[in-house]
Amino acid sequence: MAIRISHAGAAAMALTLGLAAPGAALAEWQPERPVELVVSAGPGGGSDIFTRVVQAALTKNGLVKTPLLVVNKPGGSGSEAFAYAKDNPDSAYKIYFGTQDAYVLPLTTKVNYAYSDLKPLAAMVSDVFILWSNPKTSGINTAKDFIDKAKAAPGKVRAAGAKAKDADETVVTLIERATGTDIAYIPYKSGSEAAIQVAGGHIEANTNNPSESLEQWKAGNQKPLCVFTSERLADKTVIADGMSWADIPTCVEAGIDVKNFLQPRTVWMGKDAPAEATAYFTDLMKKVMETPEFKEYAARNVQIVKFQAGDEYKAFLDQQIANYNEIYKANGWLLPSQ
Amino acid sequence: MNISRNAMEVATALVTALVGALICYGAMENGIGWTESGPKPGYFPFGIGCLIVAGSVATLVQVGWKSMAARPAGEADSLVPFIDGQGLRTLAAFFLPIAVMTAISFWLGLYIGMALYIFYAMRFAAGFRIHNALLTAIIVVAVNFVVFEKLFMVPLLKGPILEYFGIY
Amino acid sequence: MGNFGQLMDGFAIALTTQHVMIMVLGVLLGLVVGVLPGLGAPNGVSLLLPLTFTMDPISAIILLTSMYWGALFGGSTTSILFNIPGEPSSVATTFDGHPMAKQGEAVRALTLAFTSAGIGALVGVLVITLLSSWVANFALRFGSPEYFAVYFMAFASFIGMAGSSPFKTLVSIMLGFAVATVGMDTISGEGRLTFGLGELSNGISFLIVVIGLFGIGELLLTIDEGYKFEGVKAKLKLSTIFRTLAEMPRYWVTIVRSALIGCWMGITPGGPTAASFMSYALGRRFSRRGKYFGKGEPEGIVAPETADHSAGSCALLPMLALGVPGSATAAVMMGGLMIWGLNPGPMLFSTRPDFVWGLIASMYAGNLIAVVLVLATVPLFAFILRAPFTVVGPLIAIICVIGAYTVANHMFDIWLALIFGIVGYAFKKLDYPLAPFVLAVVLGDKAEDAFRQSMLSSGGSLNIFFETPLVATMMAIGFLLLLLPFIGRLFGALLGKGNAAEARDGRPA
Repeated sequence: MAIRISHAGAAAMALTLGLAAPGAALAEWQPERPVELVVSAGPGGGSDIFTRVVQAALTKNGLVKTPLLVVNKPGGSGSEAFAYAKDNPDSAYKIYFGTQDAYVLPLTTKVNYAYSDLKPLAAMVSDVFILWSNPKTSGINTAKDFIDKAKAAPGKVRAAGAKAKDADETVVTLIERATGTDIAYIPYKSGSEAAIQVAGGHIEANTNNPSESLEQWKAGNQKPLCVFTSERLADKTVIADGMSWADIPTCVEAGIDVKNFLQPRTVWMGKDAPAEATAYFTDLMKKVMETPEFKEYAARNVQIVKFQAGDEYKAFLDQQIANYNEIYKANGWLLPSQ
Repeated sequence: MNISRNAMEVATALVTALVGALICYGAMENGIGWTESGPKPGYFPFGIGCLIVAGSVATLVQVGWKSMAARPAGEADSLVPFIDGQGLRTLAAFFLPIAVMTAISFWLGLYIGMALYIFYAMRFAAGFRIHNALLTAIIVVAVNFVVFEKLFMVPLLKGPILEYFGIY
Repeated sequence: MGNFGQLMDGFAIALTTQHVMIMVLGVLLGLVVGVLPGLGAPNGVSLLLPLTFTMDPISAIILLTSMYWGALFGGSTTSILFNIPGEPSSVATTFDGHPMAKQGEAVRALTLAFTSAGIGALVGVLVITLLSSWVANFALRFGSPEYFAVYFMAFASFIGMAGSSPFKTLVSIMLGFAVATVGMDTISGEGRLTFGLGELSNGISFLIVVIGLFGIGELLLTIDEGYKFEGVKAKLKLSTIFRTLAEMPRYWVTIVRSALIGCWMGITPGGPTAASFMSYALGRRFSRRGKYFGKGEPEGIVAPETADHSAGSCALLPMLALGVPGSATAAVMMGGLMIWGLNPGPMLFSTRPDFVWGLIASMYAGNLIAVVLVLATVPLFAFILRAPFTVVGPLIAIICVIGAYTVANHMFDIWLALIFGIVGYAFKKLDYPLAPFVLAVVLGDKAEDAFRQSMLSSGGSLNIFFETPLVATMMAIGFLLLLLPFIGRLFGALLGKGNAAEARDGRPA
């Protein structure tokens, strides 16, 4: 890590560089030591790739002068990362990358941080969810086939997903409630592992972010049944069998009344992080959105691109937490204390 | 201060039995039953805890049996030392400084803890002269600093003193 | 022979001057990273990742995989010299590698390890080259019951061989399972065995366990036994390396058996760790010199190293073809793949053959370079061993402490490692076997996940483990391995030749 000789030394350096005007220095807060990008997931996971794309976009385009370190803290379903924020409440050099996990984890699990330990910076993109099957092995070609099958054999039809009591299982419970079915949810360590189980014909269906099943779709081992968004996806590039992302029906169209379920990719800092730093990094994330690397990432993952920050974002978060509270209460997943 | 092998066998078995019981207790929190969709989260840990207790008790019995059997035969199996006083002191002289270093590192960061420990070990255990011990400590810290902070960018705990001097 | 033609194209890509330079650089960096426990291959690879953003994908993957090979070799080095395995898969190397080094034959041990590792890796790549299309499809046939069966086979081969008191073995393996259980449960999303401690809810890393049990535990034992490392006796003769190389053909049976086990475990989801353990256990059972295993037997080094590296190479194929990484390092590399704009999956082979075959070709070249480079470092390591223990001991202690910290930047982990150090010391002196403990830590939670996923899938019926021919066969082999020692003993008793008694005495001290 950088050795800063002393405050005096830094000031002297600033003087020689002609940046001495105090007003300008205050407005133009700049990081002067390496910045930690803390990920609430292990290497290779969705949040990890999101963070590394941000890192790549920042370094490749020279948006930051100091080194950026990606630090994985996947322990306790990712709560390790946010507990780290609690331990370093005022650090200006630690930014946290996650999903809805930042505010959902404390609802269901005993974690050693509270939502109030985090300061929200922004949400950059949202991942959509798609219901997939392997038509060759299961004979399920449409969402209706899946629901019919589930109705015919309650508790016997299986759906795979990543982790327990997380986004994937939530989607499955929403499907169950909307259609009056009983589906056996089977959690795996990651979304791609779940996808392989469906592609191999071991499990009937899975819910997944598009990118995690994309290659199996191309190979003809998986087929998208419906997408959990209010409108169809925009991308019209044909992927397989003459079908494009835009050809996937929304789940409401397909007969599953679950309207909009998204996974926002979120950025946080410690609750007492200096205001100049949060302003700087929020602005920086906005700049990342414009880089070709990030645009390509969002396109490849068929994400919904919407930068949210400030008061509007805080309102969105409150809404999200209220929604999750309601769903989790119905599922009986809330911690007893809440 | 000799510890016989038998005493150590018994002590270890008691500790493992205690750990086993603790695991059983911890597992109760997650539910230890078997439902129609397979075992509950605490099912395996509870079984594991029970097996540890069972294994420990069996070991205790075995140790007791052996020492009973050994005595009439005149074998001094039960008196075989696990470690003698001298050995224990050497062991403690090596291990305790490491523990102290860890404790100090909590407050002052790993680099200072490391420096103090190496200085101590080189001066008193290896019998270096003061300035040689000091030099070794400095070299070890410097090498670690360069390897971890510079080369591989893995920040180790710095502690308040280094932060005061502007080393993050 | 389509694969062969594509491989030749791959060599044309991999063997440019620039790429060979990248391989050398990667291997060297990997060696440094592998020698420092805690830093390890995953850390090293994720550190290099930003550098690769501006490279083309082929150069980038060559850099990362070369670093991986280097780190694997570096991990074996510390296993042998200091009894600290840098990677889960090099634990089994400590069993005979460290005793041999202690007897003053460090150079021979290192040479044996590196050469057999190199051979294993080459066999693995050869299998990939010949069977790439078949392997990808075969791997898709593995559902949760098959995963469980693979882990069951690994456990079965190991439990049967434990030599010491069966109760102590039981306690040891169960404690390992308990350690693996601590933390977040995949299936229920609940924390388990955390006792309200936040530090425990992150789980206990395997590295902390081995740094404690093997690294610190071994330090304490060395002091207790009152002798220094006998590296002093080790003469730094270059001829030792060549003499050991000449010795290799003698172990061809072990090499073939281990490479087969390695390739099988690499293609199936067992992975390098299970492969090295299983190969060691079977080596001990089937080798004529099996009873000397654990005392510094050459075959006890050759068996796990060959299997480890052949499995490591083979495991790269399911990763590319399915997008499921087999290890933490592979996971980082896969993240890299996606950032470079490549999607791992069945289509990668047809959309980017240049990438896939360039990578496979680079695995041949990278491993050869790694073996040569690492053999060149042997004299350096032997030199370190010549220092008196009062100096080397504290330095190893520092490496252990920092290693424990860098695993996840938790001070708590250092305390855990120290506790495991005392456990390792006491267990080893009281003849509790440590190997089953470690195997249970590594595979315990995976096996449990696979079992419970199978149960969820079948609605609680155990029949799922015998439904398809594939899973039934694997379970049967598992049971056979489990019962083999008893069957052997029975036969021995029937034949009345006293083989049974001999087999029992064959356990290590």
